[in-house]
Formats: sequence, structure tokens, C-alpha cells
Amino acid sequence: MFPHTTRRGVLGLAAASVLGSEARSAAAADSHITIASHVSLAPTWFDPAETAGIITPFLLMYAMHDAIAKAMPGNQMAPCLAESWTTTPDGLAYDFVLRPDVKFHNGETMTADDVKFSFERYRGASHDVMKERVAAVEITDKLRVRFRLKAPWPDFMTFYAAASGAGWIVPKKYVEQVGEDAFKKAPVGAGPYKFVSFTPGVELVLEAFEGYWRKAPSVKRLSFRVIPDESTRLAALQRGEVDMALSIRGELADEVTRTPGLSLKPTVGSAPYWIYFPEQWDPKSPWHDVRVRQAVNLAIDRETMNEALTLGHSHLTGSVFPENFDFYWQPPAPVHDPARAMQLLKEAGLGGGFDAGDYHCDSAYSNMAEVALNNLREVGIRVQLRPLERAAFFKAYAERKLKNLIQGASGAFGNAATRAEAFVVKGGTYVYGNYPDIDTLFAQQAREMDRAKRTDLLHRLQQAVHEKTIYAPIWQLSFISAVGPRVEQSGLGLIKGFVYPAPYEELTLKTRT
Amino acid sequence: MKQYIVRRIGYSFLSLFLLSLTIFLFVRLTGDPASLLVEPGASEADMQAIRVQFGLDQPLWVQYWHFIASFVSGDLGQSFYYRTPVLDLYFQRLPNSLILAATAMTFSLLIGIPSGILAAVRVGKFWDNAGKVFALMGLSLPSFWVGLVLILFFSVYLGWLPSSGSGTIWHLLMPAFALGWYFAAAHMRLTRSSMLEVLGSEYVKLARLKGLPEAMVIGKHAFKNALIPVITLAGINLVVMINVAVVVETVFAWPGIGRLLYEGITFRDFPIVQGVVVIGGAMIVMVNLFVDILYALIDPRIRLES
Repeated sequence: MFPHTTRRGVLGLAAASVLGSEARSAAAADSHITIASHVSLAPTWFDPAETAGIITPFLLMYAMHDAIAKAMPGNQMAPCLAESWTTTPDGLAYDFVLRPDVKFHNGETMTADDVKFSFERYRGASHDVMKERVAAVEITDKLRVRFRLKAPWPDFMTFYAAASGAGWIVPKKYVEQVGEDAFKKAPVGAGPYKFVSFTPGVELVLEAFEGYWRKAPSVKRLSFRVIPDESTRLAALQRGEVDMALSIRGELADEVTRTPGLSLKPTVGSAPYWIYFPEQWDPKSPWHDVRVRQAVNLAIDRETMNEALTLGHSHLTGSVFPENFDFYWQPPAPVHDPARAMQLLKEAGLGGGFDAGDYHCDSAYSNMAEVALNNLREVGIRVQLRPLERAAFFKAYAERKLKNLIQGASGAFGNAATRAEAFVVKGGTYVYGNYPDIDTLFAQQAREMDRAKRTDLLHRLQQAVHEKTIYAPIWQLSFISAVGPRVEQSGLGLIKGFVYPAPYEELTLKTRT
Repeated sequence: MKQYIVRRIGYSFLSLFLLSLTIFLFVRLTGDPASLLVEPGASEADMQAIRVQFGLDQPLWVQYWHFIASFVSGDLGQSFYYRTPVLDLYFQRLPNSLILAATAMTFSLLIGIPSGILAAVRVGKFWDNAGKVFALMGLSLPSFWVGLVLILFFSVYLGWLPSSGSGTIWHLLMPAFALGWYFAAAHMRLTRSSMLEVLGSEYVKLARLKGLPEAMVIGKHAFKNALIPVITLAGINLVVMINVAVVVETVFAWPGIGRLLYEGITFRDFPIVQGVVVIGGAMIVMVNLFVDILYALIDPRIRLES
């Protein structure tokens, strides 16, 4: 029946006929958006107290909960449940003024008690660092709360409001009344959508919360359907069974662009990818010579890689610091110049090329690695691909067991300082060696409360990372989603660096004519 | 007979014990689940807190003892990922798997048995060759590919059937076909070989010599006897369909036990993987035990030989 059937071929055959499916779409309930999720939703994501510093839980947090401050369109630290905040001149306290008359989904009014309770209850990824540095949380009155620090900590707001779930507020009375486990089964928050039902591994259903302080959502019902297979997600979108499909890559994304009525929504997240040289501190290693590292940087054909793998939507970068991070320094644009790369190798005494050992990567991104390997071979750097399953890769990376070349990445929240702490300065989780001048800059900025001075220090730090070619940065990966014909505003790309639809109260459907 | 049954029950318990030990150790070879439950770069303290919370800091034998003791008392533990008792998750998914498996099995028997009989009766001719091609395709085409082609053709191109999910009979058709096709091919092959063996037996020759109509020879005398191994295989296949339709359930986003197992493996959710595998194993062991006892009751040679 299908003598030469390929996924692409059949999709192509199908494309022309599919999206007269307005009629089928119309069968879907009015004012209802269904999002096909690429990952199975975990109940821990319903609870801000357990949020790890990764982006995925925020897919749901933006719907069900709200924070003291959070990233919003045009403002990476927008006041939300707090109307404003101030820092004392000595940098030892932060005073928050809460928004009055904010309601939780169960009708309770948010107070300073809830803010204190939510912070103290938080046990997610940044728990240790926050508890170490915060001396006390004091309730000044019903709508005022003070965080006292043990020492000045310029990154307090980064951790409290961006890199953790500590600043996302839950109702104290309700949690105490129902208990921790029951809270995950029937979460109550202050976000634009309230919980209706959850079937593990299948579906989460939410309903618009009319009392949301910012505005009542126009879409009355929101469903997240888990469809693990990418092709099936796209088929569901093409048939109008879902309105958005998260994570559609490669040739399937290409297919979306050819299907009438569907639109592609690439969003660039806070996840740069890079090649790291863990042996650059070993004088016997060829990677000790900065010219060899620069040769790698010049050998990578980022544009071709981008076109082939993410349809040109990823952002090519010369930095391991995400461009949407606070204190970001803009490096020169990366250049592809294989001739210059070979010249640099020759100057370094490696004119005939050399066997450079292994190229380690997370197996989920070995497609990037294969392109990079070919680029390196073209200039004479011969490496072998060593893909590892994700968890094993990051474990080996963090335990400093990998050698030669490492293709790394990070999507962790934070700012330029937190990124440097993990990946550049002495003692960082993924640091195999260090440069004293960079460590000094880092230590200075950590004590500096003057924002302008701190910015200058962090810019100098990033410039040093660039000049020493500690890394060969590749790109900030584009997360590609697809949107169906019913949706007017998908929310995708509204918040810089956030790859999921948000804020959800902005989602709208097209009005029918 | 009593001794025979006691021995078979003993073997069954031994099989279950070995299965539980094997799966318990194998899932732990895949690595530390704590590394998947925290973000890359989390501190060792965070990882340790996760290990303590789920009892993964205990010595292996203690963990195994807890697993077995809980299993015997009907508790399969709590899912690391879903924070829900595994038994609850299992029973949430079981009805979907039962419906899918029953439909796929009906389909596989309705296709496999008649085509197997036809191939045996017309051995070496067109229908036999057509059956061989059918069996070859059914056994060799990967079910994920079959599933995707079905989705693209019936769902996207023709728009007749929903692409994924569950809830109506229309959701059921494609996954049942994708799952049942492989088993239809297996049933066809076994029916054919079993029928060929029976058709060559003395009593069938005698029936023909007596001048019985061919339809009665095949339908009454040959088919009934040829059916026994097919039914035995179908029983075991049904258990396999219920518990390990991993690929089909994932492609069609069918919320069954196979997909639960897939999720358990993806997130290194040890309690889910252990629970699903041990329950599936227990079902197969019980079916085998039942069949062994039934055989012994029917055929005295078996119990006497044993």
C-alpha cells in the first residue's frame, strides 16, 4: 500500500487536506485550549515548595500559582504579589509591600503569613543556599514582610524570585489543613488557573480563576495532554485535537511550516550549549594552548548546524552566559573560519592536525555533536563521539571524570554571577580548573552592592572568559512549538528566555466570524 | 497428583522470587534516580535528601526486603515521580490495558486462526503463500512504524480516527490493530503448523476414509485438536498485551500499563518498574500454573511422567 512510505512523505501527502479542519476544531468546546505536552507532568510541579531550579515545572507554576516577583513580558523581575520592594542601605534586609486583596483559588486572601510560610516551607533546589543566608523572615504587618540577611547578598532577588520556587506563594491555612500530600493532589494557588483534575501521565485540567488579581483569563479551560511521541503530537495538532504542541523538532517542524493554518513558534530559552576544554590547565595537553581552543571556536559552522537542526531559529552565541540574564556582556559574534583555524593549529605546532581523543555529550544532543565532529575533522582535529545517557553524562561531568572535549549546556535560572559560579570559578560544580584573575573578579562582585560597579565587574569577568577561550560556545537552543489555527495569542515567546506559553492569562482564541 | 500440583506451585514461587530479585537488581544498574529528580548541578546534599526520602540510602538487601514485604502485603510502594501509590497507578491504567488487549486479541484471533487454517488446508498454494507474507510482515514490521503509518493515513490524511488518547471506541481501533497485527501473525503461524500436524494424523485420515465431508473433518476433528496450543499461546499473549504494550501505548498516547512502564523506565521510577514487571510476571506464572494443572487433569500421562 505504501511502497516507499516515509514519515515525511506521508506527512506531505496529508498536509494539503488537513487544515480545512476548522470544522473539526469548532467541535472542541468554546474557550478551551488543549496543550500537547512532551513530558509527563509530575505532581511535584504543582507545589512551589519542591521546585527545582529548572524550567520545566514553571510550565505549570505560571498557570496555578503566582510569585512575589517573576519574569513577565518586558520585565525579567516584574512585581506581582508584591507591589514593590526596597533594600536597606546596608544590604542586610529586603522589605516587601504585598498587593492587597489578592485571592487564592479557595477564596482566602493572601497575607504576609502566607509569604513567610511559603519561604519556610520551601525545600527545592536552592533550599540550602537560601537558608544559609537568610537570617529571618519578619512580618511587619498584614501586607508587609521583611527578609533579614546574615550578610549582604546582591543575588537575593535572583534566587528568591527567579531561580527557585521560594517566592511562589501558597495558602498557609489550606496547606496546614489538608497536609502536604493532599496539597499535591488538590493544589490551591493564586495563579490565573485553578486545578480541576489530574490523571497521572495522561491529562491535567485547569479552569480560569475569575478572581485573578491581574485579570481574568479569557480562555476558560486549559488542558495539558501528555503525548510523548513527537509525530503523534503533530498529528493531533493537524487534526485539531490539540491547539498547541510543545517541542516539535527537525523535519517535523519543517512540516509545520508547510501546513496551512499551523504556525511555528520558536522560543530561545536560557540554555546555551558549548564545547568545554577540561584539560586546558594541563601544560602537557594541546588544549593548554589558547590557539588550539580558538581553532575549535573558528572551526564550528554554527549557521549550517542551526539551519539543519533548528531551522535557523537558535541564537548563535559567543558566550556561555544566556543573553537574557542580568549582567550579560555581549561578546563579538562567533565566526566560522576554517582556514584561520588551520593557521592557528599550524602556529601551535599542530599543522598536520592531531588526534584529540573523545568528544563527550548528552546523547539527546548527539545530533549537534555529529555536526561539530565533522567541522573539527575538516580542520584536522580528529575526535571520537562518546554520547552518554543524560543523567550519566551530567554525573560524570560534575564528578570531573570526562576528558578531552565536553559538549555541555545549562538551562538553570539565575544571572551572570550564578552561571559563573557553577561553570567558571574555582569550586564550581562543572569547573575542572580555574584562573585566579577571574576568581578575584567573582569574589569582588559577590560583595559589591552597587549595581553599576557590580555590572562592570561581571562584564570584565565574562570578557576574560571569552578572551581565554575557556569555552567554545555554540548557540542558545531554540525550543520549537507549533500552534493551531484556533489560537490567537499562544503566550509562546512573550517572556524572554521562557520557552513555554506564559503568562497564561494572556492566551486568547480567535473570534469566529 | 497432589505432589505434582505442590511441585508446580513451588516452581511458580521460585520463578517469582527470581524475577523479583532480577528486576530489583537490574533497575538499580540503570543508575541513581536521584540524579533525575534534581536539576543538573544540584548539590550532593540535595541528592542525598532524595535518596533518604525514598529509602535508597539503605543497603540493597534492606531495600529488597522492604520491597518483598510490602509486595506480600499488597503494597508496591510509592512512585518517585508521581508521588502516588504504584498500585493506584496500576489500577488506574489497568482498565485501559484490558480493553486494548481484549480488542487486540479478538482481532488477532479473528484474523490469525482462519488464515492459519486456510494456509494449512491450501498448503503450498496461493492462500498459504499469502498467509506467509502476512505473517512475515506482522512479525517483522516494527509496531511503532505501523502505528505512525496508521495515524498518518487514518487520522491525518483521511481524518476518520482520532490520532491519540482514549475514551471512545474510535480511539481504540488503531492501537488495537497495531498491537494485534503482530500477534495475529504469530497465531496464524501456530495455527497453520498445528493444523498441518493434526491433518496428517491417523484419526483425520480415518475420518476421511469414513467419507465424512471435508468441512466436518477440518472443522470438527482437526480444528478442535489443533486449537489447544493456539489457545495456550493466546492466554500468555494476552498477559503480555496487558502489561508490555509499551511501544503501541506510547505512540498512541494510550494510558495503559505499557505506558506506565515506559514512564517508570524514563524517570528511573524503581517502584513503578518493579511493580509492573512483578505483577506481569505473576500473571504469566499463574496462567502457566493453571495450564500445567489443567493439562495434568486432562492428560494422565503428564502427571504420571512427572
